[in-house]
Amino acid sequence: MIRSGFLSLGLALGLALSPALPAAAQQGGQLKTVQDRGSLLCTGHNGSYLGFAEVDDNGAWQGFDIEMCRALATAIFGTPDALQIIPVSWAQRFPALQSGDVDVIIKVTGWTMSRDTELGLQFSRPYFIGPFYVMSRKDIGATAVADLEGGVFCVNSGTTVERVLADYMEANGISYEPLAFEKGEELRAALYAGRCDAIAGFGPFLAATRVNAPDPEAFEILGDVLALEPEGIAVRQGEDDFLDVVNWMVSVLLYAEQEGITAANVDEIRAAPPSPTVERLLGVSPGIGERLGLSDDWAYNVIKAMGNYGEIYDRTVGEGSRYALPRGLNNLWNKGGLLYPLVLD
Amino acid sequence: MDIAAPPKESLAAWAHRRLFSTWFDRIVTLVFGAGVAWVLWQVLGWAFLGAVWSAPNSDACAGASGACWAVIEARGRLILFGLYPAEEHWRSALACLAVMLTMGLSCWPLFWHVKRLAALWVAGFGLFLVLMRGGVAGLAPVTAEQWGGLSLTLFIFCGVVVAGMPMAVGLALARRSKLPVVRGCAGGLIDVVRSLPLLTLLFTAAVVVPLMVPGWLQGDKLVRVVLAYALFFACYQAEILRAGLQSVHDGQGEAAAALGLSPAQRVFLIELPQAFRNTLPSTINQVVITFKETSIVTIIGFFEVMASGNAALGSGDWGRAFIEVYVFLGLVYFVFVFGLSRYGAWLEARMRRGQRH
Amino acid sequence: MPRFASFRTRAGFTIQVGLLLVIALVLAGLVLTARENILGQGMATGFGFLDRSTGWPVNVSVIELSARSSYARVLLAGLLNTLVVGALALVLATLLGTVLGLMRVSGNLILEIIGTTYVEIFRNVPMILQAFFWYAVFTHLPSPRQAITFADAVVLSNRGLVLPAPEFSATDLGVLALAALAGVAARVLAARRGLRAGRWLALGWLVLAAVLLWAGRAPGVPMLSVPELQGLRIAGGLTLKPEFSALLVGLSLFGAAYIGEIVRGGLLSVEPGKLEAGRALGLTPGQVNRFIRLPLALRAMLPALSNQYIWLMKATTVGIAIGYPDFFAVVSTAINQSGQTLELLAILMLGFLAVNYTLGFALNRLNERLKLKGRS
Repeated sequence: MIRSGFLSLGLALGLALSPALPAAAQQGGQLKTVQDRGSLLCTGHNGSYLGFAEVDDNGAWQGFDIEMCRALATAIFGTPDALQIIPVSWAQRFPALQSGDVDVIIKVTGWTMSRDTELGLQFSRPYFIGPFYVMSRKDIGATAVADLEGGVFCVNSGTTVERVLADYMEANGISYEPLAFEKGEELRAALYAGRCDAIAGFGPFLAATRVNAPDPEAFEILGDVLALEPEGIAVRQGEDDFLDVVNWMVSVLLYAEQEGITAANVDEIRAAPPSPTVERLLGVSPGIGERLGLSDDWAYNVIKAMGNYGEIYDRTVGEGSRYALPRGLNNLWNKGGLLYPLVLD
Repeated sequence: MDIAAPPKESLAAWAHRRLFSTWFDRIVTLVFGAGVAWVLWQVLGWAFLGAVWSAPNSDACAGASGACWAVIEARGRLILFGLYPAEEHWRSALACLAVMLTMGLSCWPLFWHVKRLAALWVAGFGLFLVLMRGGVAGLAPVTAEQWGGLSLTLFIFCGVVVAGMPMAVGLALARRSKLPVVRGCAGGLIDVVRSLPLLTLLFTAAVVVPLMVPGWLQGDKLVRVVLAYALFFACYQAEILRAGLQSVHDGQGEAAAALGLSPAQRVFLIELPQAFRNTLPSTINQVVITFKETSIVTIIGFFEVMASGNAALGSGDWGRAFIEVYVFLGLVYFVFVFGLSRYGAWLEARMRRGQRH
Repeated sequence: MPRFASFRTRAGFTIQVGLLLVIALVLAGLVLTARENILGQGMATGFGFLDRSTGWPVNVSVIELSARSSYARVLLAGLLNTLVVGALALVLATLLGTVLGLMRVSGNLILEIIGTTYVEIFRNVPMILQAFFWYAVFTHLPSPRQAITFADAVVLSNRGLVLPAPEFSATDLGVLALAALAGVAARVLAARRGLRAGRWLALGWLVLAAVLLWAGRAPGVPMLSVPELQGLRIAGGLTLKPEFSALLVGLSLFGAAYIGEIVRGGLLSVEPGKLEAGRALGLTPGQVNRFIRLPLALRAMLPALSNQYIWLMKATTVGIAIGYPDFFAVVSTAINQSGQTLELLAILMLGFLAVNYTLGFALNRLNERLKLKGRS
């Protein structure tokens, strides 16, 4: 009696909760799997990572990485709403991809050798270049990392910066005391409280940390660059068709910026394309969609819905946001940056 | 002969006896009393007198001496409802109420029958799921990834206790089995699970199981995690129940056998009800611990109330008001946990009264 | 009756074999599916990565460690960190818990109120929030340059509490450990033979070790290292970092709330009649407490205490939230850095199993020894 009561309860629970079973990872044809499902599964965060994945007052996701997810969903489905953001912690991101909980990892994930070779992943071309800097309190009076000899350096644990800092300090013969925190919130709190003399990290993260400080003027980002980290979008090994879509989505965003095509003027330009390449880009002449297994107006949809790379950057982390991060290395090649579109032929 | 009732103690006399009767008492009372008053005054000043109640962002609180409660005004809905779509928050709130009502009713002795409890929880969970999932009765569907905040915390908590209790009964009985293999397996499972941190089990359920189990068996991640957590709860609860079963006098089982009850009837009608009653305080304690530890699921990407709290302070506008958010979270947990532990104390007192008759 | 018995045995046999078969099948199925999935996705598996150097530093360790250390060594350091903080918290929580338990049965209203308030507050707020709180307290102390000093020997700042510490090399520590072992062995052996001299023998070993240490020291090296400010940091002495202190304080205070309840229950479970009997025999109140009340209470408390201790060990995992590199934090970082999730998760589970089984085993043995002999 007891058992039947609980059994029926368990059944009710199970039935009500289990949706269609997640499709197992397959060799090839991943784009088709995603298209059949009708929505893209992309990584979010378990909390927030300033500027890249945050939640607004209404519980909606926003940030640079989230916009990239939206752009990819738009490329595949024509609308940014065909997207499910799955909250995923740092530790969980690779297993989540391996087990099929998400289709892509867009979570400021550095392209490293061990990740590329051992985890069964492949990375897209870098969509963001993250320089690692050191930020310290002004009252220490340091102008370079070497002035912080013997100080406490705080970092995010489990990230590339932990290694980069260790390498840099050893190579330059600077002694320091490392202190690692799992979450950005705790790392920031430790800096504000003076537990650390400096924090090392990804430029955008440092800028966000500074903006949020009780006294932003008390902190300074030092000029030394510890290293660069190219951030890539990761998909499973063997899903080459899907990786193609990811790579060309990034490329189209950059190309649109290079050609000055924005969300506001894309209709105008589509009506009178200035060059054959733009004509192809916006789907006026055929070719851009079919080769990827998408519709010909996918690039137009992406630009129309999301804007170009520069627009996305500005509204999430750049001048139009609270973090006011300069473009720096993330500018186009012809404006002093490292980013460039591939050739659209 | 009537014995006169002792004269009623006056308040002053009572205070004197309990506070000032010896020198030691006097010193303790004065020192600790002053300390408590000072702490209370500080808290009052921070939480009320110097607090900022409304502001567009945490910059506006920079000059204030007290708490920046404006963050709760702006981000409170995010903390309570997580990623649930804003226009549907009322559903999440109603679902919370439904579960809280179900919890409240099952604390009421009137419902302490297996059938009534089962019916109550089926109804409660059914209502919760309909409200949260939608897709019927004109409600827009909301996927489980968007569930969050308090309703997710309550769902996980209730799911764990409701699924864990029968597991606990099964494990406790298996550990008392006369068959050595059954007994050994149950004992081994209980000891192993109890030695592991909860987090490793949840992580396994969330990210390892999909690699080890064929796709058709995987089910939803939330279900897997609730079941893994329920197993953890069950292993602790099974040990509590085992102690309860041991405390039931052998004579009772023998009497039941003499009355012609089958072994199953003996266990389910005679021994288990008494075991449950005898171990109520420890059971409530275990339930309280379970509630507090639901916050661990944030590490596997569930947006329960702790994660949504972190998201609430993780924005350019509100990054400075983290203490206020954590205090608010502490209060939310405190309300539930304190309620549960007071209920436990009440049950204990009620039982003691029952024993005296 | 015999027929019934044999049927039961046969049925029992079938059930048991069936159960074993099902377990074996399920396990085999899990392993095979995992193999297929892992191979299918081109993931590297195995424990080869343990020999590779990590490339990231761990800032708290009782063993020598650098960014060049192997994963295996870093994991070991994490496990030791967990053991250190867990063991200390266990002792502190027990002491404070005993005080709390006594407060709650003391009869003084203020003490009872404080005891009750303490227990209700510390039990009802999640451990992780308490860890955050204590960490905030420890990191809001003054900076090293404005540090609070006591008698020029103890320095308290937001970089931690620095205490004067004896300067021991690894060899010195080895000598001390050997002497301690020999002392304990001497004591146990002497006790087995019924000799009283065991205590003196043990002391003798320690004195010998001290003499050896003093004689073997290079001239000019001080016995004590005293903290002093050097640039950004405080050098010398033994530093208790804020991460460690916050975790230790948080765990001890949280554990004490639970242990206080166990102690209270244990004390209340001693029948008043036994105490009265003690008094009637002419024992002083102190003797009644020491010889009757506490031993009896301890017996009643031990099973619950051993559960609590295992729980406390597991609770060290909140260290990750406040930057203390405990076993879980190190494993978690290693998962992120190497991506070997399955293997590291297995190591994490095995580590905790080993620690908690040992603890549980020791406490069970103690429980057996303390049980009332004869009729219960």
